[in-house]
Amino acid sequence: MVKLTMIARAIDGLPLVEGLDDGRDVQDTEFYKQQVKALFKNLARGQNEPSRMSIETGPYIFHYIIEERVCYLTMCDRAYPKKLAFQYLEDLKNEFERVYGNQIETAARPYAFIKFDTFIQKTKKMYQDTTTQRNISKLNDELYEVHQIMTRNVQEVLGVGEKLDQVSQMSSRLTSESRMYADRAKDLNRQALIKKWAPVAVVLGVVFLLLYVRNRFW
Amino acid sequence: MGTENPNPRNYPLRPAATPFASPQSSTPFASPQSSTPFASQQSSTPFASQQSSTPFLSSGPVVGSEAPVFRPGPPSASNFPAPPFSGGPLVGTEAPAFRLPPSSRSSEGVRPPPPPSSGGPPTSGFQSFPNPPMPSAGQVPPPQISHTGRPAFAPPTRPPPGPASIFSQPQPPLASMGSPPQSLKTGQPNPNIPPPADQHFFSAPRPSSQPTSPPTGTSYAAGRGIYPGYANMQLNSVSQDPPMQPASFQLQQGGYGPRLQSASFPLQQGGYAPRAPPTSLLAQQRGYAPIPPVSTPSGIYPGNQFQQHGIAPPVAAQQGLAEDFSSLSLGSIPGSFDAGLDNTALPRPLDGDVEPKCFADMYEMNCKSRFLRLTTSGIPNSQSLASRWHLPMGAVVCPLAETPPGEEVPIVNFATGIIRCRRCRTYVNPYVAFTDNGRKWRCNICSLLNDVPSDYFAQVDASGRRVDLDQRPELIKGSVEFIAPAEYMVRPPMPPLYFFLIDVSISAVKSGMLEVMAQTIRSCLDNLPGSTRTQIGFITYDSTIHFYNMKSSLPQPQMMVISDLDDVFVPLPDDLLVNLSESRSVVEAFLDSLPSMFQDNMNVESAFGPALKAAFLVMSQLGGKLLIFQNTLPSLGAGRLKLRGDDIRIYGTDKEHTIRLPEDSFYKQMAADFTKYQIAVNVYAFSDKYTDIASLGTLAKYTGGQVYYYPNFQASIHKDKLKHELSRDLTRETAWEAVMRIRCGKGVRFTSYHGNFMLRSTDLLALPAVDCDKAYAAQLSLEETLLTTPTVYFQVALLYTSSSGERRIRVHTAAAPVVADLGEMYRLADTGAIISLLSRLAIEKTLSSKLEEARNAIQLRIVKALREYRNLYAVQHRLSGRMIYPESLKFLPLYGLALCKSLPLRGGYSDVQLDERSAAAYTMMALPVKSLLKLLYPNLVRVDEYLVKVSLLRSCFLCWSMIWYVSYLLPMSSQTEEFDTKKRLPLTVESLDTRGLYIFDDGFRFVVWFGKALSPDITKNLVGEDFATDFSKVSLSQRDNYVSRKIMEILNQYRKSDPSYFQLCHLVRQGDQPREGFFLLTSLVEDQTGGANGYADWMSLLYRQVQQNA
Repeated sequence: MVKLTMIARAIDGLPLVEGLDDGRDVQDTEFYKQQVKALFKNLARGQNEPSRMSIETGPYIFHYIIEERVCYLTMCDRAYPKKLAFQYLEDLKNEFERVYGNQIETAARPYAFIKFDTFIQKTKKMYQDTTTQRNISKLNDELYEVHQIMTRNVQEVLGVGEKLDQVSQMSSRLTSESRMYADRAKDLNRQALIKKWAPVAVVLGVVFLLLYVRNRFW
Repeated sequence: MGTENPNPRNYPLRPAATPFASPQSSTPFASPQSSTPFASQQSSTPFASQQSSTPFLSSGPVVGSEAPVFRPGPPSASNFPAPPFSGGPLVGTEAPAFRLPPSSRSSEGVRPPPPPSSGGPPTSGFQSFPNPPMPSAGQVPPPQISHTGRPAFAPPTRPPPGPASIFSQPQPPLASMGSPPQSLKTGQPNPNIPPPADQHFFSAPRPSSQPTSPPTGTSYAAGRGIYPGYANMQLNSVSQDPPMQPASFQLQQGGYGPRLQSASFPLQQGGYAPRAPPTSLLAQQRGYAPIPPVSTPSGIYPGNQFQQHGIAPPVAAQQGLAEDFSSLSLGSIPGSFDAGLDNTALPRPLDGDVEPKCFADMYEMNCKSRFLRLTTSGIPNSQSLASRWHLPMGAVVCPLAETPPGEEVPIVNFATGIIRCRRCRTYVNPYVAFTDNGRKWRCNICSLLNDVPSDYFAQVDASGRRVDLDQRPELIKGSVEFIAPAEYMVRPPMPPLYFFLIDVSISAVKSGMLEVMAQTIRSCLDNLPGSTRTQIGFITYDSTIHFYNMKSSLPQPQMMVISDLDDVFVPLPDDLLVNLSESRSVVEAFLDSLPSMFQDNMNVESAFGPALKAAFLVMSQLGGKLLIFQNTLPSLGAGRLKLRGDDIRIYGTDKEHTIRLPEDSFYKQMAADFTKYQIAVNVYAFSDKYTDIASLGTLAKYTGGQVYYYPNFQASIHKDKLKHELSRDLTRETAWEAVMRIRCGKGVRFTSYHGNFMLRSTDLLALPAVDCDKAYAAQLSLEETLLTTPTVYFQVALLYTSSSGERRIRVHTAAAPVVADLGEMYRLADTGAIISLLSRLAIEKTLSSKLEEARNAIQLRIVKALREYRNLYAVQHRLSGRMIYPESLKFLPLYGLALCKSLPLRGGYSDVQLDERSAAAYTMMALPVKSLLKLLYPNLVRVDEYLVKVSLLRSCFLCWSMIWYVSYLLPMSSQTEEFDTKKRLPLTVESLDTRGLYIFDDGFRFVVWFGKALSPDITKNLVGEDFATDFSKVSLSQRDNYVSRKIMEILNQYRKSDPSYFQLCHLVRQGDQPREGFFLLTSLVEDQTGGANGYADWMSLLYRQVQQNA
């Protein structure tokens, strides 16, 4: 069962289309949509992701393909045949490229091709039921090889970016803190010096003052 | 000389100065003098001549005519070159005296100068002139003589007359006040007049006088000042060196036009003028230069002009003042207004809604007033000042108002995020200031300095303007639309969605509603916004709920019946809501068969509540618009309503308001849920019996919807109305899932909002659907005790999804000056916005208290406002027997009265049916200003003369052939165009002539009134052979004759100009009670009806209350 469908531009993660009334029977739709958006951002950052991948998340699984700088993503039940899911994305891709292929670069606003949602809805219905003859025959069709498609966990995928972020953050914190340390060390050094010599200086000063006063008034 | 230029404005003033009417008696001379110093001298002679030649009086306005008159008289005078001199000095002396009085007035009256055009007033002046005494004196005595004479007379007489005359001239109807208004319209604020110049002028001649005249002084002041100046100038020029004069004259001309000439000349002419032949006069007018000789011809002119302009019409006599305000004479004794109050003098908005212009002129970059109107454009600078403004202070916003072609709101797309202030989130607008060479911009609302993003950077030129200004509509236009980036979306833009919840019980079928509705929806399918994305769905209900599966692959819709009303569920997950373009054939099949499906339905029950819940379940995923067609009182399941009815015993008790409140909290709860899921509800109610609109309307009120009420719906009668309004509802451009916020500058805050919406947080209005027919009002209050900024800015931002699936932000920005003076607030007031806000407040008050109290509250506010205004001016003026009000608010009392007589507030139990009252209240809560004003003071137009004229012409046509053809063709075509400018009549029975045929149009319906003595031909042509029958059964339809075609043309023209509602045409024959009373007589707001005051009574009532404790 297809739960969510989103199409975005891969280079900047700009959402282009989203399926109509998606996520009607999903509990935390918003949560998963957030995940999808994070995923798009990751892709847009240019990390070398394979062009086809499945990502597990909770009871569901994301499948996506990237073609011509457009990312087609869908979220299904884990039990939904992978083969069908990718077939579905292929269908979307073919239609989308046919209709909007030349406008993708120029799309300036989010959901610029929202009209495509009617096609998504239609296509989705065809893939809704895995037991229809049409879908069964597709399942048996060996033309499309999905076995090599990597499956990873969403935490991993999103984690990669996160970890990198963390590392860079930590290193930058490290440099700034070491700089601070150096500054403070210098400061301490100076203070120690003052502590050491201050009493002597004061005593000498008083002595000289006394001497001076004595010379002056006596 | 330079100073003279400013005078032009003053020009109008002069008339004021000329108090001739009154002075006349004293001495003719005096009067002229009073008019203007120079005038006096010259005028004396000219006048005299004129007067003597009585003919002038009649001819008055026409210069030419006057001129001739003059000639005869003056001849002798012209000869003297010297006279001017002598006259000059005299004048000078006189002038000072003059000035003083005026100056004082001027200070008082902020008012702008009287109407610029001399044309009108002159006539009146003439008449006044007539005083016989003058002629002899003027003619005979050389100018000199006149001078001497004048001084004595003039001083005393002049001062009083001056003011009076001013007023009276401009607007005869408004006894005293008339003139000022015009000036207002012209929008001449005090500043217009270059005060310095005037002063200068004066100062030289007479220091004393100068000081008196206020620099800022109204145009009046300037005008007066000028006069003296003229005199001086002339004198000087004459005495010093003759050549000078011409030059000076010319200058004057430049400024004033004809007047100047007159003025300047007068001195010289003083004696001569009369002589000049008419022709010469003309020449002079055009160009003085040639005239250098000046003396002769010019003199004449001036005199005439003076009279024309300067002379106060006798009418004014009572007590015209050169004030800032308008007034209405009520007779000296409050009780005796009968004598004093002239019905025709009462101000009436016969031109419809006139928006204040000065505001727009002040800030050109403001959004248009159709989007945002402030009740007063002058924001008070302190709370104490605000507390003296007793009218509501706030704004009326119509964010999607229809724009005429060519003025569309420009669309702006920022590639990388919209430029907004970091702190207050204000959108970039024309009033932000770029500093730091364009790298920073200062927010005009919170004055925070923001960085300009690099891709929005542009150089700033020397004057602080960005070099790319002309490519940035958001920095030039007060209204723009931004394309919203993804951050502004909680979800992808929703498709337009229409869901219909249709009552199919027996009454719906019997009334024919079902059939009309189905046909209308079917005919609109092509025009629904949203092209291929539009979604549509239907549920019908009686005692059960019927769902329809409209899957595109089905040949026919499948009906599913749910009879479990306690636990409503949706029988199908999909296909109850379908894509219109895919399922088009199924939807059409459904609509075609709908009327016949329930043809024999005998079910009288209505499971409205459960059906509503079912609709909610289907729609909640997407949101959209829910249209409810309800015919009976909901009788089953949740939300069942009792026949609590309209109980006469409850009126006047503390519980009165409860019948206007929703009975069951179910409706409010549902409305809250609907709004949360972006569903807007429009209620169409049709019942002839009580359906508790108060409860049903709640659904529309909190979801940004609208209530349409068709009492006693009969398809044969109301078909067109339902058709038009339903199709407008379905096809007008709609904004979906919108939220709106109004931001305003520091120190002020919007405290309450009034209209159809749900408040999401303290200042965020949730509007599931918005369209051009909805307006929202908000009240403003001062947060700080003292405002230090010179300007307050307002910004309305509406974030919405357009039908095409774009997320957009419509931003309207406006600036308003902060003022420290109550008079200024009044001057900048906008009656339309005030009434709109006032009506919403009053309607809300009826929900918590008695009707009576709501009406009293309106009255009290108006009285307080007028009293405050009166106190402003009472000190300087003798105001006894007059009611004064600011020009900007002259219609306020009338609209207030109309408001008290409007359906939601009118009378008591028997005056309006409860449902009708509630429906009207819901409607008025959403109406834009213009429609509201039209509803309150409808148009009444007489058409029979027009029809007859045209048809006569036409018959001539047929009879006479080619020769006549040409000659009539022209007039005819011009007449058709002429019609729309036809005069609107005051809404009183007196306007109705028994021989006439009238059209009454309040924006919601037409009433065509047939006078008793109307020619039977017309009636027959309009309604056919059965014209003697009952008009309630006849409808006006196009017939094959000229009169009928013509009237339909007129009606259609009216309908086209106001398309938000369909004006159903009701025919009424005079004396045909109770029909006539019901349709027309109760709507004539100026008449006394059923215990409510007539206009005149109302005014005197207000006047008396203003007087009390004044």
